[in-house]
Amino acid sequence: MPEVIGRSVPRADGPGKVTGQTLYTADIEHKGMLHAAILRSPVPAGKIVRLNVDKARQMPGVKAVVTAADVPNVRAGWALFDTPMFARDEVLFEGEPIAAVAATTLAQSRAAVAAIELEIQEIPPVGDIDMALAAGARLIHPKLAQYGSVPGIVFNREGNVACKYAYEEPGVDEAFARADRIIEDTYDFGRQYQGYLEPKGTVVQYRDGRYTVQSGHQYVFNLRDRLAQFLQIKPSDVRVQGMAIGGGFGGKLDFGPEPYAAVLAKATGKPVKLIFSREEDLLAATVREGARVRVRSALDKDGNIIGREFFTDHDNGAYSGELILMAGLALMFCRGVYRTGPIRTQFRLIYTNTSPTGAYRGVSGVPMISAIECHMDHIARELGVDPRAYRLAHTLNNNEKLPNGQMLHDAAILMEAYAEIEKIAPWEEMKRTKKPLEGVAIGSTVWLTNPLPASATVKLNEDGSAHVLSGTCDIGTGAMAQGVVGIVAQTLGLDPANVHVVQPDTDVAAYDGGSQGSRTTRAVGRAAEHAAIEVRQKVLDAAAPLMQTEAARLTLSGGKIHDIEDPGKAIGLTDILMMGAFASGPIVGTGKHAEQPIPFDPGCAAGLAFPTLPTPTYHVHMAKVAVCPMTGNVEVKRYIVAQEVGKALNPQGISGQIQGGVAQGIGYALHEGLRVKDGRYMERSLEAYRLPLAVDIPEVEAIILEHPADEGPFGAKGTAEPPIVLAPAVIHNAIYDAIGVPLNSIPLTPENILEALERRKSA
Amino acid sequence: MKINLKVNGILEEVEVDASAVLLDVLRDKLHLTGTKEGCREGECGACTVLIDGQPVDSCLYSAAAAANAEIETVEGISANGLSAIQKAMVEEGGIQCGFCTPGIVMTLTALLRQNADPTPQDVAVALNGNICRCTGYSRIVSATLKAAKNAMAQKAGDAHA
Amino acid sequence: MSPTRPLILLPPSGKRQVTVMDFIYAQKLEEALDALRSQAGRAKVLAGGTDLMIQIARGEKQPQALIFIGQLKDDLATISLSQDGYLNIGALVTHRQICADRHIQANYPALATASASVGGWQTQSVGTLAGNICNASPAADTIPPLLVHEAVVTVQSAARGLRDVLLEHFITGRRQIAIENDEMVVGITLAPPPADTADAYLKVGRRKAMEVAIAGLAMRLTMAGPETVGELRVATCATGPVSRRASEVEALFSGQKLTNELVTQGASLLGRMIQPIDDTRASAEYRKLVIPKLFRGAVLECLAKLGIAISGLEKS
Repeated sequence: MPEVIGRSVPRADGPGKVTGQTLYTADIEHKGMLHAAILRSPVPAGKIVRLNVDKARQMPGVKAVVTAADVPNVRAGWALFDTPMFARDEVLFEGEPIAAVAATTLAQSRAAVAAIELEIQEIPPVGDIDMALAAGARLIHPKLAQYGSVPGIVFNREGNVACKYAYEEPGVDEAFARADRIIEDTYDFGRQYQGYLEPKGTVVQYRDGRYTVQSGHQYVFNLRDRLAQFLQIKPSDVRVQGMAIGGGFGGKLDFGPEPYAAVLAKATGKPVKLIFSREEDLLAATVREGARVRVRSALDKDGNIIGREFFTDHDNGAYSGELILMAGLALMFCRGVYRTGPIRTQFRLIYTNTSPTGAYRGVSGVPMISAIECHMDHIARELGVDPRAYRLAHTLNNNEKLPNGQMLHDAAILMEAYAEIEKIAPWEEMKRTKKPLEGVAIGSTVWLTNPLPASATVKLNEDGSAHVLSGTCDIGTGAMAQGVVGIVAQTLGLDPANVHVVQPDTDVAAYDGGSQGSRTTRAVGRAAEHAAIEVRQKVLDAAAPLMQTEAARLTLSGGKIHDIEDPGKAIGLTDILMMGAFASGPIVGTGKHAEQPIPFDPGCAAGLAFPTLPTPTYHVHMAKVAVCPMTGNVEVKRYIVAQEVGKALNPQGISGQIQGGVAQGIGYALHEGLRVKDGRYMERSLEAYRLPLAVDIPEVEAIILEHPADEGPFGAKGTAEPPIVLAPAVIHNAIYDAIGVPLNSIPLTPENILEALERRKSA
Repeated sequence: MKINLKVNGILEEVEVDASAVLLDVLRDKLHLTGTKEGCREGECGACTVLIDGQPVDSCLYSAAAAANAEIETVEGISANGLSAIQKAMVEEGGIQCGFCTPGIVMTLTALLRQNADPTPQDVAVALNGNICRCTGYSRIVSATLKAAKNAMAQKAGDAHA
Repeated sequence: MSPTRPLILLPPSGKRQVTVMDFIYAQKLEEALDALRSQAGRAKVLAGGTDLMIQIARGEKQPQALIFIGQLKDDLATISLSQDGYLNIGALVTHRQICADRHIQANYPALATASASVGGWQTQSVGTLAGNICNASPAADTIPPLLVHEAVVTVQSAARGLRDVLLEHFITGRRQIAIENDEMVVGITLAPPPADTADAYLKVGRRKAMEVAIAGLAMRLTMAGPETVGELRVATCATGPVSRRASEVEALFSGQKLTNELVTQGASLLGRMIQPIDDTRASAEYRKLVIPKLFRGAVLECLAKLGIAISGLEKS
């Protein structure tokens, strides 16, 4: 039996996906199923003056039309309860749901949506964070102070600021007062659409007083809880069955079409399918938030950073989701992975009359880390020193602290990562061989793993195969289809082909934090490992009497139970299951995983949802770009990643995450723009919102560094989220190197770049 | 109107609207749900099928116009087990979420029929009309090259046998 | 905080209601022409449908009948060369066929480049050159190369037979063409290029493919001597409501010695002549900046294809 861990075993769900047999939400059909459509606000802000659905109710095929009048008058939310299901008296963003229709056919429900009479008295939108923060700005949520919130999380809210966190170490002003020079940058970051290929969708049934929701969803328990909030029912009255999911990247962690389909299913007594059109999905997606980061560093005469200010403002959109929980990231990332003096930092999440923002791979950290990395290049250039050398001289070493008080015991892994990249792309040679308008850049960071708890059940079948039940899905990363399958196969000595992952189901599985923040392999993997160990023990216990020996002398591998002290003696696993199960009962194991708090100085991090970085991982990225002088377009010529992963359970799966994450980062830096003008998105289709193509992305070179973590399954840490985090800044800095002109925004358009080249020419 | 569609070699009579696009007929009338809807505007390629051997966005193609043509969907090319490109996609890790995969498999099936020995650039250009948000494309390209190599080796083997 | 518009009615989200009544399969060209005549403007001709089907789905076009000409391949899907070197491209010739045609690659490579940049393979499989022209988008890639080759469009009707019209006259405005209700395009003809001629099509997009042109420029350069221009033709797209030749720029070059100064002069005149707009794809300002650079790039590409090196001609 070859080792499973560390081998690139193909994903278990590959054949189903490659033949089109895998069932996604849109592929579901039930008898009598109706098709739904949503009426959405056509304006970013206004008062609903008239809403009349009488005519729509009379349209052919229409079975139900529902509005705010038909649902509990409550506000729901992940952390802060500010979100109504339907706009009631006012609309706060373009695309906000106002009514929903179910009809026999989709065309009928859409026709009925068009027949709803809606009159809105438009109000000039608070379209961006500057407008929202301006003195005398109209309050988007005048009753903000009265909204409920999840207990246990402390955050300040005031005016148009949904969440504010500030912290200061002593000595910042003194550092700036004695600084040899001060370098300040302000960076603007655009929104980024997750761009998953499968638009959001759901099928909901209401039977026996309970809702059954089928959705490709990242976090079925969060969805269950949100539905319970909106519908004012017990969470256990909702059953969410996860379907295969066509990409998520953080965009499918909260509610989407589900509450609307649920209300319609109850109103009609029929299964209701609601699939978003692409335009609707884009309009209503909780995209990566736009942000403005101001970073200011005080330098002494030797170029050491002796003090820093880091102020980061993030666009919440009209309602809050997960981002309120991200305030602590400002504290963790304001230093980057470099030594600074004392820091002063502030995070604000600001309401605007725009589509609500949310998690996208690298949630809220992408603008923060991008700002630090761009600022580091700027400092190096001001000082006239090499940006890589400057980084190396100031990078944190083992046992140095982050501003939240957390010790990085193994930060020297960063040096190893630099060294590994140096082996295949020596920095001086990269610089020397640059042609005109080519640029190179390198950057580094630390990243965290989502700390939510996990559970798993492993059930051994009579034929010697196993099923793994958990509350999370394989979002595409292979964390379940390769990671968890491998962990269970290895632990039970099974062929990975005989380990099957069951789709998540809130009625079947215990609570789980979902597929997000690189947690699945680590947290669900650990839970599954515990469950498999329990199963193994039960197998050996059942085998012992049959083999007339003690369980302690037995091992399980290759589908057989062996006696360690008598290698010739073995019995088949299936024999045990047939005979043993009769005596001992079916064999099932359960496991769980919860993150243990990291010892740290909580003084400055008190009250934060994430006070520490569970299992920090270390990352260095390098890029080479070429700028076209004719058009301002950028070609990424080479991209190298050195990433520390704990233990690479499946190297192919990990390099796939690195390549995919970097591609999204390159897309964000260069191709994807989601601009807001007067509260509305300018890009509203996949023609305008350009996802990168095969011809746009180089073959990303992935170097995997292993430093097994004690508490991870087989030493594994989280891997899937971080590859995106450095890419935007590294591309940005490589362009800076190519053209010699700083450009303080991401994404960078050919327009920005060509204009900068013209400026350089005329200067 | 009633039309006859020849899908994966089987003639099917379906009632369609004159404005119907092929994607809806395949998914809703013929229940061939392997073909995916990703954008409905010809940008993502998730709905790619082959019409007379050429990849076409079925979301933009008139169903009525497809009458009398040879239509192939992912179900058709999977009928006798995994094809060379499907096998290579699984082995090389060219799949993540899988939603773009059937469309990509169809485009690459057409490519390999027309070009038995493509370069990485040939593969990337062939995929201009197919978006994959998960993989960064590298493993899809390497899977295609592997499938081509395997097919050529098999052919050489057959010739010797 | 005063209200702006009092009443807003929302269009249906996503898919629009559509009402296409008839689908007519033309088995012969004559049947298509007869159907066009009898429908009297209510019908649209359907070939690949890559533009038309989405326009119908969005409710932008609401024909009462579609006349499908896809079965007229024997008549219309051919690329043929006359004895005197004229190239005829039938109305059903797809972009994919254009890209693969050796005669086009050798004599009108700018057209092959343009067709290769229309969408992806899926669009090029069924999308036709004639369709690209008839859609008459200001950003259509194939129009500038066809303009610099002075393409002639042949239209036919049951009542009046065949009629030839210069492409320049055929496209009359943004998404407007000079065609009668009972007429359809049956082919496009290109004259053989003179000796010592090269062409180029340069396109600006944010990605390397799948882009509606932010700006495009086609050039045809014929040299009369080692450094002397015989004729330079240039046309742009996405720089105004209609793609047009820039005759003032062309006139500057006729019979002139090709110098760096002259190229600079031509480029900047072209930049002043175009009338681009701001749209979601790019600003007018960027288009004004980029077009002169494309002009210079196209001159250099043409010279490179001709194997001519002119000293002093700067790259940018």
